[in-house]
Amino acid sequence: MTWISKSITVVGGVLLAHACYSAQEHSALQSFKATASTLTSSPPTAASLPIDIAIETIIALLVVIFGLVLGTRPMRPIQWHVWAGKLEREGEEGFLDSEGEVNRDYVGNPFRSLETRPGFIDIRKQRKEFAAWVKNGGGQVSQ
Amino acid sequence: MPTEKELQISPLVPDSILHNSRTLVNLQSLTASLFGVAAGILGLESYSGFLFYLAFSLLTTALFYFVRVAPASPFASSTPAQKTGLFDTSRYFHSPIAFWTGGLGNGLAGYILTWTLFYGLVRA
Repeated sequence: MTWISKSITVVGGVLLAHACYSAQEHSALQSFKATASTLTSSPPTAASLPIDIAIETIIALLVVIFGLVLGTRPMRPIQWHVWAGKLEREGEEGFLDSEGEVNRDYVGNPFRSLETRPGFIDIRKQRKEFAAWVKNGGGQVSQ
Repeated sequence: MPTEKELQISPLVPDSILHNSRTLVNLQSLTASLFGVAAGILGLESYSGFLFYLAFSLLTTALFYFVRVAPASPFASSTPAQKTGLFDTSRYFHSPIAFWTGGLGNGLAGYILTWTLFYGLVRA
């Protein structure tokens, strides 16, 4: 869960708790008034919750839902060709969860063991790639 | 259910299916409990309580759709060749009916639990 979704959820939770407490106090007050008044008074009708508590409950609910939905992890494609394409294009970065770490059940390239078979290494291509990488400034160790 | 031939031509990734459905079910179970809290506070009775659950559960799924599923689905892409229907979930979910209604039964128990609990607590 990202921090913004957590904060939105917490705000909504606080609103919901406040609405709950208000409703409980309201009903306690109503029953107190009913017992304190004379015995000939009519029995308390069904709960007449004040409209602002009801509105606060609904708004709190919407805020909490929004915060929770924002905190869900991104979906992954289920068709194999879409998934494989995404894996090749974005590598690990396409499968980060919300804290920026790679998901624990990230499998990676499923054919990696095939692609790195020792008998099929193209050493000249790898030398060229390494030379290009060094030339581009990769791996410079400052003294 | 796709036939075996369709599965051989365009296979599915079970790991992704599991991840997607688990996320959605977790969300729906969690929000169902919260709906119960609200229903208890509002003092809803029989039919209106269940309608409340149904309406807000569908609202949650729709919001989840618009936040997580729609932005990356082919509908959002600009190439006309890939435009699918407005409510297409096929990129991330197996079947649209399971997407929209699958979590309802799961969350119903949690909803009723917190609903009765908070109804009793708030009504003193």
